[in-house]
Amino acid sequence: MASSALALTGLVAIATPAKAVTCTGTIAIMAPLTGGAAFIGKEQAGFAKVAIDAVNAKSGSTFDFKELDTQLDAAVASSLAPSVVSDKKIIGVVGPAGSQEVLAIGGLFGANDIALVSPSATRTNLTAGTYPSFFRPIGNDAVQAPTGARYMVQTLKAREVVVIEEKTAYGTGLANEMMAELKKLGVKATKLVVNEKNADYAAVVTRVPKTADFVYVTFQVAAKSESVAQELIKQKKKAVVFGSDGSDSPTFKTPGTFLTAFAPDVSNLPAAKAAFDAFKVKTGAAAATTFGPPTYVAAQVIAEAAVRVCEAGKTADRASVLAEIKKTNIKKSILGKAIRFTATGDVIGGTFPVFKTQKDGTRKTVG
Amino acid sequence: MDYLGQQLVNGLTLGGVYALIALGYTLVYGVLQILNFAHGDVYMIGAFLGFFAMTWLGGPLAPTVPVALMLLVMFLVAMMGTGLLGIVIERFAYRPLRNSTRIAPLISALGVSILLQNGALLIFSPSIRSYDTSSYIPSTSGFSIGQVTIDSVRLGVLVLSAVLMVLLTRWVNGTQVGRAMRAIAYDKDAAVMMGIDVDKVIRWTFFVGAALAGAAGVMNGLLLRGVSGTMGLIPGLKGFTAAVIGGIGSVPGAMLGGLLLGVIESLAQGYLSTNFADTITFILLITFMLFKPNGILGRPMMVKV
Repeated sequence: MASSALALTGLVAIATPAKAVTCTGTIAIMAPLTGGAAFIGKEQAGFAKVAIDAVNAKSGSTFDFKELDTQLDAAVASSLAPSVVSDKKIIGVVGPAGSQEVLAIGGLFGANDIALVSPSATRTNLTAGTYPSFFRPIGNDAVQAPTGARYMVQTLKAREVVVIEEKTAYGTGLANEMMAELKKLGVKATKLVVNEKNADYAAVVTRVPKTADFVYVTFQVAAKSESVAQELIKQKKKAVVFGSDGSDSPTFKTPGTFLTAFAPDVSNLPAAKAAFDAFKVKTGAAAATTFGPPTYVAAQVIAEAAVRVCEAGKTADRASVLAEIKKTNIKKSILGKAIRFTATGDVIGGTFPVFKTQKDGTRKTVG
Repeated sequence: MDYLGQQLVNGLTLGGVYALIALGYTLVYGVLQILNFAHGDVYMIGAFLGFFAMTWLGGPLAPTVPVALMLLVMFLVAMMGTGLLGIVIERFAYRPLRNSTRIAPLISALGVSILLQNGALLIFSPSIRSYDTSSYIPSTSGFSIGQVTIDSVRLGVLVLSAVLMVLLTRWVNGTQVGRAMRAIAYDKDAAVMMGIDVDKVIRWTFFVGAALAGAAGVMNGLLLRGVSGTMGLIPGLKGFTAAVIGGIGSVPGAMLGGLLLGVIESLAQGYLSTNFADTITFILLITFMLFKPNGILGRPMMVKV
């Protein structure tokens, strides 16, 4: 109890509004609370709740929090979307987590002025203007792919890379970006396409040439990345797995592998300490991955936008909150940087740090 | 040559798993002429039972017993558990419908499949469990023949699949229950008149078929690492396809069909496209249904008119 209060006090300092207002509404989260990516969704929900509590405590608002389980599945997200649209208390949505889900519901939410602030959907064309109510406080694949490609080629001196494209909206977009980047850098790049339902990667790994330096994987479930990494070892291939943010999970732990994630490890940042402490107290988790802090920021963006609307004497509804989100200017977020959005919803200055898996399975920032 | 050899090794391992699933389909069809579409989910339950047995013995990171003993217990628990599950399924989902229309047991099978899948999701949660095999069987263990590598897990799966298939063949051909099973498959009415306890033989059939699926489930966990409540659908369909290719109702046919399907799938991924393994599998199914519905080793059924 005491530690929870202490953590909350620390968080109040992070949330920027200073004047108490009467502001209500529901902020929903659409995340994979069950299924293969449940660890992502649960962490995201935990951090979102912590952020909303912090804004409530700081500003006197009384925002409610609603969890919606999409299982990282576009079809499930589509089935939940009408209920969100018809629930007028919902003033904004954190998520959804996956790019394919945004593709499925972005149009409907945009037509109803419901803001979607996703902490993890990275497909580049989500901010091409088709979804006017979509925002993300993280970089997109147009940043992720070049970051990974340059690190493989310029730092790790890769000469040949195999890209495994998993046939999903996320995987296909990222694989195409990566192939384009590798070709620009003059590296031999080949692509192998796999079905999302594929479970056995032995035959796929056999196709990886012995001369390949890296296998870039675009899975959204880290267990698949780990499966490929182990199969490469079994078949005595020299190639090492380089994963994207979808591989960022404790399950992907083969030493020597790499991945890019859309947020740095901020657990040691003073600005993030209170959020992490509150998250651990609220959920009982011992630690968090890089999926949590961007979710905190996403929820903070929506909640603070609503508070600004109320401070201006208006009622926080979907349209007014959406308009205010576009003016977001968080000077110092728990990600260690400012949060402002471009006209199409991307965060200004989004980056993708590179991590290397250590012998004990932990990750170290290397780029 | 080495590339082909590696794909063959991959395919035979996968095929061994498919063969064990296919045997369950073929045993039940041979005796009862029904398709047990819950079989893929029995395989899933087997994978979970193996996982829980491993966890009970300390888990992948700190097993409390030698690894070989842990693996033995995992297989035994999975096979016994799914064998008993098979008996329960037969007793409550199929026996009451034995004298009804052909479609009734099929619908009942689909119901059991949905029940098992959703039950597993509810009880075990939808999270993927990992056997984390490399923690207790290093990925570097195994041997090579030229450039073809066969790691320990694949070797174990290949050998165990072969052993189980040989044991099944001997059971079917050499034991009283096996002979009774073949007699019922040939002519149920005559078998009854000869004093064969049909219910008992059917129970054994379901027990053995389900136990083999349970073993396949543990193999899948060791090979592919991930276990979840929805993992039974595709392998179940592929096991069914293998049984059809080999000749539904034929035990050697199911073995051949499983191995063939695994090899074709691997070679298709290796030489055609990594994206179309499942497509090719089901094209094969349709092709066999159209042009050779009795399968490779199946025999046309004679019906007295």
